[in-house]
Amino acid sequence: MHEIRIAEDLSAIVLETARNESLTKVTKVNIIFGQMIQIVPDIFEFAFRETVRNSVAREAEVDIEIVPVKMKCMNCGSDFQVKENNFACNVCSSTDLDIIQGKELFIKSIEGE
Amino acid sequence: MKNILDRNQNKADEVRNLLSSKKVLMVNIISSPGAGKTTLLERTCEELGSKFRIGIIEGDITTDRDAQRLKKYNIPIVVINTEGGCHLDSHSISKVLDSFDLDNLDVLFVENVGNLICPSQFDLGETFKLAVVSTTEGDDKPGKYPMLFREARAVLLNKIDLIPYTNFNFDSFSSDLKKINSQIPLFEISSTRGDGLKGWYDWIEDEINKMH
Repeated sequence: MHEIRIAEDLSAIVLETARNESLTKVTKVNIIFGQMIQIVPDIFEFAFRETVRNSVAREAEVDIEIVPVKMKCMNCGSDFQVKENNFACNVCSSTDLDIIQGKELFIKSIEGE
Repeated sequence: MKNILDRNQNKADEVRNLLSSKKVLMVNIISSPGAGKTTLLERTCEELGSKFRIGIIEGDITTDRDAQRLKKYNIPIVVINTEGGCHLDSHSISKVLDSFDLDNLDVLFVENVGNLICPSQFDLGETFKLAVVSTTEGDDKPGKYPMLFREARAVLLNKIDLIPYTNFNFDSFSSDLKKINSQIPLFEISSTRGDGLKGWYDWIEDEINKMH
């Protein structure tokens, strides 16, 4: 259900951008979510539609890209993708890790005219 | 690229800076409904209430029942009703901080709304998150909600006295948890019967003292 609040914050940013850029129509919003955020795209899109339905973004297409969780090993320096919740380096087995991808809640771009 | 939750994050950073300047530890307690957050707080207030100045923020969807249970400890409590919302956010925390005398507080426990996904995504400005899970929920929670168990500073496994009446498999729970967060302290407790609480009290006491 966190989709609703995130969609509300997104629509506020989209509408503010549309105002600042004098857009009469927002055509597409491109978003990146990290896998760890556990967003359900259908629910998110539904919530976003509801929050923008009386605005210049009412017909905007929503493109959601979900990126996997990646870590950097602080011991041997290798980068790897986390599979099956196994947070250990796949080269040296160290658990001293830094997250480099997987918690994104990003707006990549907003398209309009 | 712009972070969608920038607004929440900026306010959370403000809260964190303020609390750190006042040397107040803020613990964001996250669990499913019914895992035992309020009972844990009751026991913790009984044990630590004479040693530390405790404050509580109660996140509740619609009632103040949890706060009513805690009133007897005579400590400052503020209720935030989220009116259906499934998590607290940094703006709601920031608003109620004025109700506390932060110069006379050592620790602020925030009882988030019972839910394992949504509260994990919203930084409140806490010093750290604490995950509470109970054996009656099943042993699969770390695997299903990795973000919480990756981000929490410690895990309390509550209701261990009920294990004989459930199919909870401790080895499976513990091995899933260690895969996600190998170093995380795990306290096996029963808030109602008292098992294991000493370890939790000692640990949280250390954390409060670290702020000074």
